[in-house]
Amino acid sequence: MRELFKNIFGTKPKQSKDDAKQRLKFLLIHDQVDLTPGQLEQMKAEIMEVIARYVEIEGDHGTEFKLAREDGHVALVSSIPVRRVVERAAS
Amino acid sequence: MSECIVITSGKGGVGKTTTTANLGVALARSGAKVAVVDADIGLRNLDVILGLENRIVYDLVHVIEGECRLKQALIRDKRAEGLYLLPAAQTRDKNAVTPAQMRELVRQMKEEFDFVLMDCPAGIEQGFKNAIAGADRAIIVTTPEVSAIRDADRIIGMVEAAELPEPELIINRVRPRMVASGDMMNKEDILEILAIPLLGLVPDHEDVIVTANRGMPAAFDDESIVGEAYRRIARRVKGEKDVPELVLDHDTSFWATLKRWMGLAPTREVAG
Repeated sequence: MRELFKNIFGTKPKQSKDDAKQRLKFLLIHDQVDLTPGQLEQMKAEIMEVIARYVEIEGDHGTEFKLAREDGHVALVSSIPVRRVVERAAS
Repeated sequence: MSECIVITSGKGGVGKTTTTANLGVALARSGAKVAVVDADIGLRNLDVILGLENRIVYDLVHVIEGECRLKQALIRDKRAEGLYLLPAAQTRDKNAVTPAQMRELVRQMKEEFDFVLMDCPAGIEQGFKNAIAGADRAIIVTTPEVSAIRDADRIIGMVEAAELPEPELIINRVRPRMVASGDMMNKEDILEILAIPLLGLVPDHEDVIVTANRGMPAAFDDESIVGEAYRRIARRVKGEKDVPELVLDHDTSFWATLKRWMGLAPTREVAG
């Protein structure tokens, strides 16, 4: 009966396999990269510092900085909104 | 051309030994000359799954230490032409052999056999290193669970680090109804995460336990769906392309049929 309602109304409760998959993805990234949350934060701060030398950035707002996994490889994915290019000091 | 295939998983209890036995039986019944090797020294089990435990005289360590010849230690399975078992030693441990000795053993065995299937112990230590030492390719066995897939991912990395070709995957203990209801990861979910080629799915079926009780792997039984799953996997292992997927969903009850007919049941069938 539940099956019937599910099909008629098209509502789909969250499936437990989605939890499994999400937990797995997180686990595998951290198995592979082996960085503590603290180290990740520090890496982020240092990278932002370097970028800020060249462009003016929005601060922490809208900044995305995460590890993602595709085809067995971990990638560092970041999106950093830029306000404008900083005028280079007389170089 | 003969090759040595290591069957491994990282995590214990996912069905490596059952897979090795059934694959060995299926390959032998398809006409190949096959040796299954129990590399789990100190915890031998492959002999029991195959029902050959009463016929052991010599084992792998005896061969390596030169106490007997390879031919003396090999146990011929009379139920399948061309199937042989090399048992592990039960009273020794993993450090009784070295990867170099295993490489030499496999080299010698490949002269005699089309396939040497190496049943790898669980874990990533010495026993694993011994088992993969002589292998030409690897098959990873996993189950649709977070812990087993996590360990499989680790092992895939280690297989690649050992410079073996990309390993292939067998997903064991699939429960079609749980997959259909979304309470078990399906093969697409698992392949998205592990990203290696799939050899096939094996259903979680009573046959596996019954056949283990009897020491008569399901691949001997032409009626068994588990046996059929392994026979198709064996064909893929031999390089046959376009082996049809096996439909695991065998709910033929009145309501299931009616629901399917009315288009109410999940239409996507579980196959692999």
